[in-house]
Amino acid sequence: MGRLIARRLLTAVPTLLAIIILSFILMRLAPGGPFDGERPLAPEVRAALEAAYGLDKSLPEQVWMYLTRLAQGDFGPSMVYRDFTVSGLVAEALPVSLLIGGCALVLASLLGISAGLWAALRAGKWQDEVLMLAATLLTALPTFVTGPLLALIFGLWLGLFPVSGQNDGWDWLVLPVVALALPVTGAVAKLARAGLAGELGSDHIRAARARGIAPLTILRRHALRPALVPVASYLGPAAAALLTGAVVIETVFGLPGLGRYFVQGALNRDYPLVLGVVTLYAALIILFNLFADLIYGWLDPRMREG
Amino acid sequence: MRPALVIVALIVLAALLVPPLLPFDHVAIDWDSVRVGMFTDGHLLGTDDLGRDRLARLLVGTRVTLSVALAAALVALVIGVAWGAIAGWVGGRTDELMMRIVDGLYALPFMFVVILLMVVFGRSILLVFLGIGFVEWLTMARVVRGQVIALKQRPFILAAEAAGSPARATLLRHILPNVAGVAVAYLMLTVPHVVMIESFLSFLGLGVQEPLTSLGILVNEGAEEMDMNPSALLLPGGVLVLVIACLTIAGERFRDRLADAAR
Repeated sequence: MGRLIARRLLTAVPTLLAIIILSFILMRLAPGGPFDGERPLAPEVRAALEAAYGLDKSLPEQVWMYLTRLAQGDFGPSMVYRDFTVSGLVAEALPVSLLIGGCALVLASLLGISAGLWAALRAGKWQDEVLMLAATLLTALPTFVTGPLLALIFGLWLGLFPVSGQNDGWDWLVLPVVALALPVTGAVAKLARAGLAGELGSDHIRAARARGIAPLTILRRHALRPALVPVASYLGPAAAALLTGAVVIETVFGLPGLGRYFVQGALNRDYPLVLGVVTLYAALIILFNLFADLIYGWLDPRMREG
Repeated sequence: MRPALVIVALIVLAALLVPPLLPFDHVAIDWDSVRVGMFTDGHLLGTDDLGRDRLARLLVGTRVTLSVALAAALVALVIGVAWGAIAGWVGGRTDELMMRIVDGLYALPFMFVVILLMVVFGRSILLVFLGIGFVEWLTMARVVRGQVIALKQRPFILAAEAAGSPARATLLRHILPNVAGVAVAYLMLTVPHVVMIESFLSFLGLGVQEPLTSLGILVNEGAEEMDMNPSALLLPGGVLVLVIACLTIAGERFRDRLADAAR
């Protein structure tokens, strides 16, 4: 397990490097820059600003400068939000995104796994059919449709939850988290059902049944862990889906999370902010994939590497 | 599978055939009836706040979303089938390297790269589907590679090789036709995925641009005025969900049927 972690962290470095350099070049190819405002700046002012942010150097030099600073944990200053560092902005935004994403992941896993297991135990019956159709419908619900819709029904019409912004309580979380969790719930339910249904038909379960072991014990001791392997392997992509979904959800519900900074930063050509957020997202996704693999190995010893 | 496909076919036919029959097109402004409700002045679904016919916009938006999705899925199909077939056919080190690249790309937050691409290159519709296509070919490549490797050991391929058929002919004439079924099943599953990505980009204002419209743009506009006019959100949102759900159901059934047939 230690070797798996070490190897993953080693391959993470080139992946992160590649994505940073790719994003860096893409951003610089874009027409327009962070200092294009309503009024054109005086040429001296502009030159001074560009020199201050290192924009007057060649592209490879800039990339190198960025990477050396990043290696020291410094994401650089924001070019549009003056007097703010990217680290400062991210430190404020990341907890909001992680809170929404984390709650959505937990909710989706609990609901999805229970629904999937229940359907698998009734495989072929009408409850199974209905649940799986519902799960497919859930996966077809884009967050940018469910977000406004939930806000309309539960916020504006029923007045149960706030539709915009953050408050000191917890009720502002409900609508964003539910909107974010719905499609993931559907996907988890399908995977859990497929996993358990496949497992229940396998030879070792039939052997356990033949030995007269109680159905509940079979489920708990023999079938459940391997049945959840597909769900575990979906955790990495699910984390990515939650992060992208959060971009929309944060816009719809007016929450100060990372996704909003990313879109705003890209539109304002705030190079360091965009790079910082992309790097962070990439690191989070790599981390989640590693987690998923560790859970994988725990669920199914055959999958353990090295 | 059937009812799902019928629904999709009806939506496609409506999006293709109905707009020319309507008295208004999707950009024409009807100055005398701006922001009117349903069934007024010949506007079946009313008009938006610029006086444009909502029905025409809904149908044209559906058409744009579906064509972008189909084009992007085809890009993904071509790259994925070529990549997977070559990796599976050549095997060995080449296969190892090609599949490692796919694994690596899977780990990237590609949605963000696509957003960057859209911001950078002026949001042309061509780029929307090229960009999405380049992101979506990975699963296709994996599936096709698996299929090719399974086919390589089948007697009829060995027979073709023994009969002296050149590698290219074997690949084109014997392998690819047998990969087609699986490729089509995954194409059907790629389309709804791309529909989702395109609408997501358009919703953020990064995808399709005016005067064209798409379901994502309509959902975004609908969300702005949903407190006064919920149907502006519900109709495009409903069509979007229906298309994605039906295509997913049909694709999955098709894929499962193929898997059963192979067994």
